Amino acid sequence: MHDKIISLDNATKRFSLPEGGKINALDAIDLEVSRNEFLTLLGPSGCGKTTLLHVISGFVQLDEGQILIDGVDMGETPPHNRPVNTVFQNYALFPHMSVGENVGYALEIAHTPKPERIKRVGEALELVGLGGYADRMPRQLSGGQQQRVALARAIIARPKLLLLDEPLSALDRNLRQSMQIELKNLQAELGISFIFVTHDQEEALTMSNRVAVLNGGVIQQIDTPLNTYNYPANSFVASFVGASNLFEGKASRDGERIHIATEHNEVIEARARKDQHINGGKVTAMLRPEQFSLADGDENRAEIDVTIDQIVFLGSAYELLGKTTGGSEIKAIISAARQSRLAEVERTKTARLSYDPNAVHLIPGTGDVQ
Amino acid sequence: MNWLKRLGGGSLTLYTILFFAFIYAPIAVIVVYSFNSDPVNMMKWSGFTFDWYKQIFGFTNASSEAALYIESTDQLLAAIKNSFIVAAFTTTIATLIGTSTALAIYRYNFFGKRFYRVLMFTPMLMPDIVLGIALLIFFVGIGMPLGIGSIIIGHCTFLISYVFIVVSTRLAGMDRTLENASADLGANEWATFRKVVLPQVMPGVIGGALLAFIISMDDLVITYFISGVGTQTLPLFIFGMLRRGIKPEVNAIAVMMLLFSFTIAAVGLYLRSRKK
Ligand SMILES: Nc1ncnc2c1ncn2[C@@H]1O[C@H](COP(=O)(O)OP(=O)(O)OP(=O)(O)O)[C@@H](O)[C@H]1O
Ligand SMILES: [Mg+2]
Repeated sequence: MHDKIISLDNATKRFSLPEGGKINALDAIDLEVSRNEFLTLLGPSGCGKTTLLHVISGFVQLDEGQILIDGVDMGETPPHNRPVNTVFQNYALFPHMSVGENVGYALEIAHTPKPERIKRVGEALELVGLGGYADRMPRQLSGGQQQRVALARAIIARPKLLLLDEPLSALDRNLRQSMQIELKNLQAELGISFIFVTHDQEEALTMSNRVAVLNGGVIQQIDTPLNTYNYPANSFVASFVGASNLFEGKASRDGERIHIATEHNEVIEARARKDQHINGGKVTAMLRPEQFSLADGDENRAEIDVTIDQIVFLGSAYELLGKTTGGSEIKAIISAARQSRLAEVERTKTARLSYDPNAVHLIPGTGDVQ
Repeated sequence: MNWLKRLGGGSLTLYTILFFAFIYAPIAVIVVYSFNSDPVNMMKWSGFTFDWYKQIFGFTNASSEAALYIESTDQLLAAIKNSFIVAAFTTTIATLIGTSTALAIYRYNFFGKRFYRVLMFTPMLMPDIVLGIALLIFFVGIGMPLGIGSIIIGHCTFLISYVFIVVSTRLAGMDRTLENASADLGANEWATFRKVVLPQVMPGVIGGALLAFIISMDDLVITYFISGVGTQTLPLFIFGMLRRGIKPEVNAIAVMMLLFSFTIAAVGLYLRSRKK
């Protein structure tokens, strides 16, 4: 037993493009997944998520670097000998086989005796809520049901690692949320590691032990959902995971206080954190929309004047879209409980917003995405 | 406006009827006149008879008036037998080679793949006469005796293309990630081929084989060049009869060939519908 179910070291994959040139689909990826971990790969379309899964399952060969599964080098191992199973992005159900035959395929290949096969197919279908569907053909199922069949087919052989390529993308919101919970339970129940691909950041935050944010074939950050949201490593992560207000500027330090002066002449106040060494130079300050509130003269909060362009009703809250006097875009979320103040904002089209300097997260360097 | 609509609907119906009449009337005429008892003038109806069918199968008594007009029944049966032998061999060979070529081109990338694909298409586009003459020159050139063997080889040259095209079309519509899925679930290449690729191309293979069989049974022009003197196939036999005047048995033979083709097509359709 190895405590890392998978480790990628400097994994690099380049594709040659038909129009000439090459694209780094994966660029020096280092990644480790522990036993029983739920890791989410999050990133925009085309950032290399599927390629990374295919490297692990063996359909794509690395140009450089190394891949170990359960401590064993997989460089020469063909896909059918790797202890991983995949839920494919397009389901890839076998159209000429019934649901039951699809789900039992791995067992049939492994020459599992028929009675046991039938029993386990039934259990797997039950697990994904499709008991009694064994005799249907895949084309007689809805998109969401097909996805669940693909899931049942991938877990039946109890792989060490399950790769899921956007397995919930075809589901409506309700089914999606219940499947998210089911997947989490399933993972706990089966005790196998999951690598789960999504480009839905909310899904990533709710489900995973850790999130790996990918962009342009490069891992931007691997961290817990909480840290990824609160302490993004760079401005790409800050804007991709959740909404954010970013202020790029020069920092100057005065004891605990840090002031960031932007080129729009705003000054954002922040407090130094012990683990961060910011003394000066370029930084990007991040404030989440929900960290703003309407100013009420609290000494401990910093304030900023904003002209409001638009107020959007979200249900439990209002979203204010506007600009600072210097011209930076601002997005703030204000609780709907503050009706009277909001009415005033609506009338005057201006607002004084406040924020807690302790909550300002500072990202060293400029806003350039790596 | 109602009358206009009715007129439109009416003329569409009329058009449809005329269209089918145009296609099927000649065939209907043949079927009807295959039961006509007049042995001399085929187009004059003089009574119902099974004589022509009987004669084909050699059941008729030699004294009948019609016997004057029949060809040798033995010759006819020999021609039918030859046609079946040729079609059976050709279909088997063309299906095997055509299918495996299509699979190889689908599966592997190699130098000159596109050129190879074009080469596979050409025999189908070649005029029959040209192909027939070319084959004749070839067989004579290499000193191969003309007969069943040369006909089989000749038919294979272009029927491989037909099978290749039908199977390739089927493969082109196939989802490649299915092979990945199969490998992902532990199947090696051979198991993946047997359980995933083959079942999916099977309708194409069967379709290609049926097409090859019917075309081989039916071919006249190419076979004419490469059959030699001693060997006759059914189309050659009929063609020979026609040259000595149109005889009523031709109708009966045509009707039976028609029935045969329908049967094959029906079997094909049945197999296809069962696959789904
Ligand atoms: N076989 C290939 N040949 C050339 N380029 C490829 C190939 N496969 C993927 N790419 C490119 O590599 C990059 C990463 O692709 P990948 O499929 O991994 O994206 P993804 O993150 O899964 O996107 P999505 O969220 O849309 O599924 C893309 O720019 C894509 O165009
Ligand atoms: Mg993808």
